[in-house]
Amino acid sequence: MKILALIAALGLSALAMPAFAEGYPQKNIDLVVPFEPGGSVDTTSRIIAETANTILKGGGLVVVNRGGGGGIVGQTSVAQAAPDGYTILAMTSSVVTNPLLKGASYTIDDFRPVALYNLDPEVIVVPADSRFQTAQEFLAAASAEPLNIVVAGIGTSHHMSGLAIERVTDATFNYIPTSGFGAQVQAVVGGHADGALWPLGEAMAQAESGGVRLLAIAQEERDTSFADVPTFQEVGIDIPIFATFRGWAVPADTPDDVVATLSDLMKAIYENPAYVERMTTAGFKPAFRDAAAFQALIADDAARSAIIIEEAGLGQ
Amino acid sequence: METILLGFQTLATPMVIFMLVLGLFAGMIVGSIPGINDNIAFAVFIPFSFSMPAEQALALMVGVYCAAATGGAIPAIIIKVPGTASSLLTAEDGNAMARKGMAGRALGIAITSSVVGGVASSIVLLFFAPSLARVALEFGYIENFALAILGLSSVVGLLRGNVAKGAIAAIAGLLVATIGFSPVTGFPRYTFGNMNLIEGIPFVPLLVGLFGVAAMLDLMVGIFRDRKNNIALSKLPEIGSLLLPRALMRRLLPVWVSGSVIGNVIGMLPGAGMLMAIFLAYDNAARRFRRLYEGKPGETTWGNGAPEGIAAPESANNAVTASSMVPLLSLGIPGNSTSALFIGALALHGMVPGPLLFSQHGNIAWMIIVAFLVANILMWPIAVTVIRTVSKPIFLIPKEVLVGVIALLCFMGAYSDGANVFNMWIALVAGLAAFAMRLTNIPLGPFILGLVLGPQLESSLNNSLIISRGTWLVFIDPVSHPISAGMILASILLWTVPVILNFRPKKIA
Repeated sequence: MKILALIAALGLSALAMPAFAEGYPQKNIDLVVPFEPGGSVDTTSRIIAETANTILKGGGLVVVNRGGGGGIVGQTSVAQAAPDGYTILAMTSSVVTNPLLKGASYTIDDFRPVALYNLDPEVIVVPADSRFQTAQEFLAAASAEPLNIVVAGIGTSHHMSGLAIERVTDATFNYIPTSGFGAQVQAVVGGHADGALWPLGEAMAQAESGGVRLLAIAQEERDTSFADVPTFQEVGIDIPIFATFRGWAVPADTPDDVVATLSDLMKAIYENPAYVERMTTAGFKPAFRDAAAFQALIADDAARSAIIIEEAGLGQ
Repeated sequence: METILLGFQTLATPMVIFMLVLGLFAGMIVGSIPGINDNIAFAVFIPFSFSMPAEQALALMVGVYCAAATGGAIPAIIIKVPGTASSLLTAEDGNAMARKGMAGRALGIAITSSVVGGVASSIVLLFFAPSLARVALEFGYIENFALAILGLSSVVGLLRGNVAKGAIAAIAGLLVATIGFSPVTGFPRYTFGNMNLIEGIPFVPLLVGLFGVAAMLDLMVGIFRDRKNNIALSKLPEIGSLLLPRALMRRLLPVWVSGSVIGNVIGMLPGAGMLMAIFLAYDNAARRFRRLYEGKPGETTWGNGAPEGIAAPESANNAVTASSMVPLLSLGIPGNSTSALFIGALALHGMVPGPLLFSQHGNIAWMIIVAFLVANILMWPIAVTVIRTVSKPIFLIPKEVLVGVIALLCFMGAYSDGANVFNMWIALVAGLAAFAMRLTNIPLGPFILGLVLGPQLESSLNNSLIISRGTWLVFIDPVSHPISAGMILASILLWTVPVILNFRPKKIA
């Protein structure tokens, strides 16, 4: 273990073992959720931990809630934690935007992505009794005059998805920042706004029960559960994919073999049928990207967010 | 009806009933410890609930949720430290009554009012949930702004004596509420670069400080004063009978009805919250008390042990618990932050609240509803048991020791909210501030009201004006927004009626 860590530290990462790190874990691993219990990151993390603990030997995976500061408090604590593999961050898109928008002291480079477990594409949502039947009608109306669109908050990824749509179409939006998903559902289902930009995972229940209608989904192919909802590109919005991501990251200097072990662990979890079942019923579509693919996705997201933040004058 | 029976059937298994009763006991104790509330209890409990069957986990949560709102009244009455924020108004009249040697009477009023409010809202949940949820949907940004104005106007009922000091407190609360993100621009304000303040001052440690730490300082000063004057340290008041005489029950009935109605209505509205309900109910009861009883022989003044001052907030806060589940279960919209945690617990068991819950997991949905009714009925004997067995010995502790115990509980409670040492500093500073306010007779109630309503006022005003394209008249438009117009009118009356009534006698003289 010591030798392996030394090799990694010397930058000779090519020589490190790609598979399971020897003697790791020897104690419990903290999975830091930088939000209060009960939210989507917390729920998915607990489902993952349950499956992980049937696989792991030597130590278990323990979910630790460290909420506050819009995620910054918990995220900063992981950025500063010992890079020994015993502290994992439940990483979301806010890790990319928090340093740009809210002045968080860490940067995205303080983290090393491990694996992705869920991608939640953005959807355009309107009330069930809305005058807009299709995304084309919605975009045409938004080009004529600005539509009132509910988003989780100014500077959130949902606000940015709206700005991204404005960049590539003639549509214009008035953003109505509404904190708390309950209040957002209230505003849309009650017809107090023209529509909303939501992650599919949260919109799903309201769409299935007929409270809202989905007009378009921001991913490359249609979703199997909502086969009649067109993609952004099909309706003329040139954004192939816009999704919030959920995954794991560790402090930047964590050794390669530990990262590989954790990435393999996530893959094993992803291949567990009980896990897939449990995630799906909770409203989250399981996915898997290894460390390299997750890193590429984050880099893409960071580049795109930086442009939008710059153009909209949101940065600090 | 068949579906209600299905709910009873799911509930009526020994383990589920056991969990409900366990939850009630736990909630009562958690509620009566300052600094620990139902939110923190859920946070600790949700991980364990994972391995339990769904119906047992949810029964336990229902028990904790219902009982915590009641348990908060126990320390509020006996030592003037509200166990939960929902009992902060109970501390005034409740503790005044206890100091007069009627702690049992005050506790009796608190428990009975809680049970009445809780049962009333459980019945509403049982029979009217879907239709009422539709009405709650009518509340948009414009109505929310009007509701916040109405809530802020209830400050009139809290003011005693110096109006200027009350206004200063309310404005200070509104100003403190601006710390953290601006809901309008997304930029942080007044955080001085401190990441812990980016979402505003964390609420739990703030309340722990304002009440718990301040009460601890108050007790300490009292002990020093007694020592200096060589007065033997007085024991805390004895608890007498918890049963209410029939005449008192008849007198309080109208207060219970109005408290329950206010709690039910506010509970159903997402974003309004339990504190708004207790302030509105308290204000309403204050008017009634002043009209009917104040100045009569054998009656005290408002804030000095009036039974209505306990009955109104305690019936209202328990009426919020079940009614906050109305929009959650029928539409998937949580009424407040605690009921939002039910979403998390349901999701862990693969269920999503909303209309689909009734079709896909009808037994669970109806069990939750039925559990609220049963929990509120079982609450009376359980509250009595807790007061007689657990609370009583705690309150027989000498005052010097009690100071240490409160300090320990407060700082533990503040820390446990996010496991953050910074929160302990917040509790300490808030405690010193509240103590200074007490010394200068600046009331705490209006401060809390401003603090709670500030963010709602700001964001609903901003969003209303976006939708109305900048037209302010939208709030008083009786055609498009009759609910808002009505609430604005009611707010104007709340402010002007006392002024007009004040002028009249002078004219006669």
